[in-house]
Parts: sequence; structure tokens; C-alpha cells
Amino acid sequence: MEPRWAQTGRDGADDDDWGQQQPPSSLFLQLPSNATLRFRGNVAKAWGAALDEGEPPGAPQERDGEGAREQESVPLKQLPLCMAEKRILRLREQRVAWKRSRWEQWQVGMRHLWGQVRGALLYAQVWRGSLHRIEGHFGTGIQSYFNFLRFLVLLNLGGALLMVGFVVAPNAAFEGLQLNQTQQGQNSMVNRSCLQYDPTERGLVSYFTYLMDLLSGTGFMELTHLFYGYYPNSAVDFVGFSYNIPLAYLLSVLGYFSVCLLWIVHRAVHLLKRSLVGENGELSTYSHKVFAGWDFCLAPGTAAAMKHNSLRYELRMDLEEQTLRRVMAQRSPGQRLALFSLRGALNLLVLGLLGAAFYGVYRATEYSQRAQQDTSPGQQGLVLGLLVAYLPSIVITAANQLVPLAFGLLVRLERYPLSLEIRLTLLRTVFLRLSSLLVLLFSLWTQITCHGDPAADSCRICHHNHQQHPCWETSVGQEMYKLLVFDLLVLLLVLLLVEFPRKLLVTHGPAPLARLLGQQEFLVPPNVLDLVYGQTVCWVGTAFSPLLPLLHAAKLILLFYLKKLTLFSNCRPADRTFRASSSSFFFLLVLLLGLAIAWVPLLYSVFVLQPSQACGPFRGEPTMWSTLWAAIDTLPLVAREFLQFVGSLAFAVPLFLLLCILMFYLMALDHSYSCLVKELKGQLRLEGQDKVFLVTQITELS
Amino acid sequence: MGNKQTIFTDEQLDAYQDCTFFTRKEILRLHGRYHEMAPNIVPMDYTKDPDVKLPIQLIINMPELKENPFKERIVEAFSEDGDGNLSFNDFVDMFSVLSEMAPRELKAIYAFKIYDFNTDNFICKSDLEKTLNKLTREELTAEEITLVCEKVIEEADMDGDGKLAFADFENMISKAPDFLSTFHIRI
Repeated sequence: MEPRWAQTGRDGADDDDWGQQQPPSSLFLQLPSNATLRFRGNVAKAWGAALDEGEPPGAPQERDGEGAREQESVPLKQLPLCMAEKRILRLREQRVAWKRSRWEQWQVGMRHLWGQVRGALLYAQVWRGSLHRIEGHFGTGIQSYFNFLRFLVLLNLGGALLMVGFVVAPNAAFEGLQLNQTQQGQNSMVNRSCLQYDPTERGLVSYFTYLMDLLSGTGFMELTHLFYGYYPNSAVDFVGFSYNIPLAYLLSVLGYFSVCLLWIVHRAVHLLKRSLVGENGELSTYSHKVFAGWDFCLAPGTAAAMKHNSLRYELRMDLEEQTLRRVMAQRSPGQRLALFSLRGALNLLVLGLLGAAFYGVYRATEYSQRAQQDTSPGQQGLVLGLLVAYLPSIVITAANQLVPLAFGLLVRLERYPLSLEIRLTLLRTVFLRLSSLLVLLFSLWTQITCHGDPAADSCRICHHNHQQHPCWETSVGQEMYKLLVFDLLVLLLVLLLVEFPRKLLVTHGPAPLARLLGQQEFLVPPNVLDLVYGQTVCWVGTAFSPLLPLLHAAKLILLFYLKKLTLFSNCRPADRTFRASSSSFFFLLVLLLGLAIAWVPLLYSVFVLQPSQACGPFRGEPTMWSTLWAAIDTLPLVAREFLQFVGSLAFAVPLFLLLCILMFYLMALDHSYSCLVKELKGQLRLEGQDKVFLVTQITELS
Repeated sequence: MGNKQTIFTDEQLDAYQDCTFFTRKEILRLHGRYHEMAPNIVPMDYTKDPDVKLPIQLIINMPELKENPFKERIVEAFSEDGDGNLSFNDFVDMFSVLSEMAPRELKAIYAFKIYDFNTDNFICKSDLEKTLNKLTREELTAEEITLVCEKVIEEADMDGDGKLAFADFENMISKAPDFLSTFHIRI
């Protein structure tokens, strides 16, 4: 029985679509470059490829001169042969193994062990089964969101471990054991009024103030391990060393940020390695969609039909975009001018919207802080009190939901190609979300430092606004805590009041309404931006509230289960697929941006602002950074000189220049490599033409 | 594991572990799946290496493959006779290559075989048209299909012969960021 492969490509020249005479394919099939692709089992012999007992088949790209050494380094599992041949190879390898030296045996054993460890680690991943189910029903695009969520949970748990281990737990231990603590940083020159700070003194309060306190971090929650103000500025002496609490606090906060940075960068590089970007990625969209577009993991059901539809939609969109580009290139100068002026006007409108949103956040924060200080909590009702306390969060959330809708409408008027449209909207939304947080912080800063004016009335005595914020770090921590809690509350409310009713309406309601609303689609980009926003809030607040990473980790775990629930009950797969791995890299990039933004308030508070004198582990110090200098002074002379040198400008400027030179060198290298690649491609094309020519000549002569 | 199983000898299981990306437990589970497709034909005792093959119609009805538009080609690419009849060895090999631990190079080789419908070792225009039709369930117009095929060949063909050889295909697929995650079946 002749296998099917041999029934094609018969003798006689065939004409291909370009009308050229192609030489008979049977000659092509005998070329060495084709013989490297072996078929399995007996069929391989028919191709004329050597597969006798004495000749081990090589890896697909046969390189000359690399015989047995190369063979051993490619594990058996990765060879494209059928099982019988692999078994033969294995037996041969085992026979050879007896003759190996001990060093080589140890090497092989280590490699084997490492392979097993890696396999075991893959199985030990958290939530593997859930991610599997999500991938099967909704595809890899939505699974990438849950992957990102899992990464954030691990990041927060690691950070929480660091903070709890070095700040919270020792403090609790010292108090519990009632160890002797030596007070530090006593400054007798400070005004008595600056030291007044007693949040728990209240008198008679109504019952709901406890609920308000829980939700806004005031009252009984303020002077606890949760906030900065609770920690003392002292050191505990043990035999041989002393545990300096402010130093531990500062170093663990800085260490937490550094660990987060390293972990994210490591993961981003790992993801980037998987997508080998040799040239511009735009050049292969069609071939990637055709060959790597179908998700083989899809389980039977509606997911497959959705995938067919989405692939068809995507290919159509790409073709349309191409015709649009052609039309765009043919526009007259008059049309172009009109389009540019339209785009300029719309951009101004976008900036106007952003400005309005930021102003709203600024005023809301100002009002909320002032209202909270002016009236005692018991005078307002519970709802009104909560409303005032959460006003900044409410305004930020409203802006984050409504303004992107306006962006989506405006960007369609600008008539960009589709891919650019998506990216532009995403960029604008990212900018909105992260900047609104900065505006909130800026608003707090103006209140704390009286608009940056140290000579203003309220700021003269204690260097910050003592009446409003006796302990300003705790106030900032409270604001971040409120943002976190509000985020969670909004999620629960949206789930209960919007998503589930919508699903009920669509399945059981009247048909026209169901068609109008449509089933909910799980959109990945807005959800990811929510996650990044929440993580940035957590980062900003960690310096002022050491337990925040732990709370955030708990919130993310709850979020995972809630999102999974809403995904399976309410949502259908997205029409437009979000490419999985390129977008995972994009998520991490946005996360890094959030981290960069979180560094700004941290560095400012550590280096510039004076800590409150009434509370916290840095009371009495001129800045937070001075504790580190004081600790360095106790080190031996050599270490001290070295650290002072490293911190000085004489070291930083040459280092910066060196890094710039390195960067320029790498850019030049990259440019020369891409030139080389272009040249090689041209040569390859010429070789292909040579091959066709030669084969034609051979067949004509023979 | 410890408990006595009589399906394979220990030596066979070791060989499977070395030659595929599966553990012993998974090999036994795969045997269970293979057996339940045709309990009358597939023996429970594989210690003597019986020569049993399942026809293609049974295998493409597996839930993992049922919705896949390329299911016939996948099974044919892994069968020794090219017609889609899989022995247990081929069955295990197929899922091993499609598992998440198989490297990119190995998957690229088999992906090329799968998309090569007329098995002439090139992905020519007719292969591409068949691929597209299967992907979109023949709902694109003929003009759209021609346009897309032209675009694909333009993007990936390096030596200018109007069809994709394995080197072209591998070069193109190595730049596809989600090839590893989409060309993957969990069993």
C-alpha cells in the first residue's frame, strides 16, 4: 500500500500560480535540505534517508562534524522520532553509559535530577486546576489575566513576609515579652504642642463609630500595628547587637521595594525571552494568526465556535486595516490638514477631560480631609460620615470608569488604524489611572505642608500642619487603606448589583432587552488596569502602613475566586482576542510604571519631609534618612568611608556615564545585527533562485 | 507508586519516561484513555508489546481533539503509515509533543507536518488555503482567502520560491510569541 505522501508531486513539470515552469518535485524531494525532515517509522527509509542500525539519526538541522557529543546533549524526549527508534537509541545510550567516566556520570545524573525538579515545580503551582479550566473554556487571553493575578498574589505574600518578619513581628514580640527599650532621638528643643497625639481619646461615642473606624482606619484602629504611628523610636539591646527599630523599618521598606522591582524585572525578562523579537513584530501578523492562532486547548462547547468567529473577525479587520492604510497614503494635503487639525482638537479635548478629572480629585481630597477634622465623627450620620471619608475614593473610581468611555468614543473620531486605536486608548487610560493617584497624593501634600510654605501659620511651629494632621504619615496610610477597602467594596457591589442581574435579565428577561444588553464580555485590559492601580495603591501605602501588603494579598485571593465565579456564571468569551504573551509583557510594563510612580512619594518622604514628632519610629529625627547615616557612623572606619564614597556624586556621575556608554554600544550592536540579518535574507533569496535554476537545468539535461 | 500494576513492565515504563515528557502515572492514565476508546481491541496487558492500532475515526472523537479543525492532520502526522492509525506508542508520542513541556523546536517540526496537507514537504498555496478554510469554517470569501495567503507567503517566504519550506516556517514560528501556548493540548 502506497502511503499518501508518495502520491503527490509526481513526474512532469507542474505549473504553479505564477505561470513559471517548476521543475518536478521528485527531484526537490531528494535534496539534502528536505531529507532532514524525516517521516516516522518505515516511511523515513523510503525517502532515502539513512536509518540503519549503525547510524544514529540526528537532530533535524544536521550539522556536519557534530556527531556523538551533540547527540547526547539533546535529550531523547526532544527527538522527532517514533517510539521504537527512541527505544533503540536509549538502549544504545545505556550501553555507552557503562563506559563513561565518573565525572560524566555525575553530570548526567545532575541533569536528570534538575529535569525532575523542574517538572515537579511545574506541578506545585498554585491554582493550576482552575487556570486549566479557564484556559479550556475561554482561551489563553483571559487566562493571562488570571496568571497575572496569581503573580501579584505571590508578590504580595513575599512582600508581606518581609515586612511582617522585620517590622511587625519583632515589635509585637518586644511588647509581648516586655523587653527593655532604650528611647532614641529625644529632642528637647521641640515645642510641647507638637508632641500632642492621642487618637483614642473620645469620650462617649455612638455604636456605629466602630464600623466607621473599621472602614476608614481611624479611632481604635489608628494606634495599632497597622499604621506607622504606633511604632516607637527605640532600640532593644540584646547580647552582642541591638535591634534598632527605626533602622529596621527604613531598611525593610526599601528592601521590599527593591525585591518587588527585581522580581518583576526577572519575570518580564523571562517572558520577553519566549517571544524572540528579531525584527519588527508587525511584519508577521498574518502568518502568526494563521499558524499560531488556533488555541489547541479549547474544550468542546461554545468556546470553539467563538474562536472561529474571532479568528475570522480578526483576519477581516487586518485586511480592512490594510485597505485603510492604502487610502490614508493617498489622501490629498487638504484632507490631511483637516485630519490633523481634527486630531489636535480631540487631543485638547482629552487633555481637558483629564484636567477636569484631576481637579475633581484634588478638591474632593481637600474637602474630605477638612470635613473629617472639623466635625467629630459622632455628629454626622453613618452614611454621611462614610461618604465624606470616602469622597476621594469615590471621585477617583467614578473618573476611572467614566472617562475611559469618553476616550473610546473620541478615539473613533480620530480615524486611526485599529491596532493604533486600541493602544492609544489603553495608554490614555493608564495615564489617567496612575495620575489620579498622584493628584490625590499631591493634594495630601499641600495640606500637610501648607502648600509647601514653611512660614505659613499652621506649619511654622512643627514643620507640618499639626492641627489637621498630628501624625501625617498615619493620615497618608489611612487614605491608602481607604482606597484599598473601597476598591474591594466596589468590586462586590458591581458583582451583586450589575453583573448577576444582567445575566438574569439576559437569560430570563424579554428577548429585545436581552439582545440589546447582550451577555457580559470579560474584557481583559480594564481588569488588568484595575489590578495595577490596586497594586500601586498598596505600594504607596506600605511605607506608612506595614500590614498593607498582607491585606492586599488577602484581597487579591478573594478577587481571584470572585472573578472566576463571575467569569463562569456571567461572561462569554471576548470577540476580539487579546494576544496572550505579548500582552503579559505589556501588563508587567504597566506594573513597572506603577512601581516607578510609587517610588516618588516614598523617596520624597524619606529624604525631604520631616517626620512627625508626635508619633512613629522616626520621631525626633530631622529626616527618615538620617537614621541610616547615624547607623553608618557606628560602623568601622573603612566601611564608613566606602559607603560614603558610594553615596557621593564622585561615584554616581562616572557610573551614570559608564551606563550611558554601555547603552550606546548595545544600540550600535543591535543596529549592526539587523543590517546583517537583512543582508543574509537577500543572499538566501538569491540562493533559492540559484537552486531552482540548477534543478531545472539538471532535469533538462537528463 | 508502590502498587502493583500489570499493564507494563517496569522497564517499559522507564523507557516511556525517558522517551516522552510524561511521568509513570500519566502513562498509565494515557493507557486508560486509549483502552476506553476501544475496550475490545486494546488489551490491558501491554507487557508483550502487542501490535494494536486504533483507526482514525475513534481518535478524532476524543474530547480533546473533537473541536480542533486540524484533528485529522494531527493524527495523520503522528501515525506511522500516514493514514491516521495510531498504536499506543504513537498515541503517547502525540500527546507528549503537544504537552506543555515540549520545546519549541520539536513542536515546530510537527506543526509543519500538520499544516502540510499534501505532504510534499512544503506549505504551498493550496495547503494555506485549506488551513484558512478549516480555521474560519469556510466563511471567508475567495478573494479574502487569496489576499491572506499572499500576505502569509510574503511574510514568511525567505528564499522566494512562493512556498514555505521548513526553514521558512521555523524562522517565522520562532517569532510567534504565543505559539508555545496555543500549540498545546492538556490531557
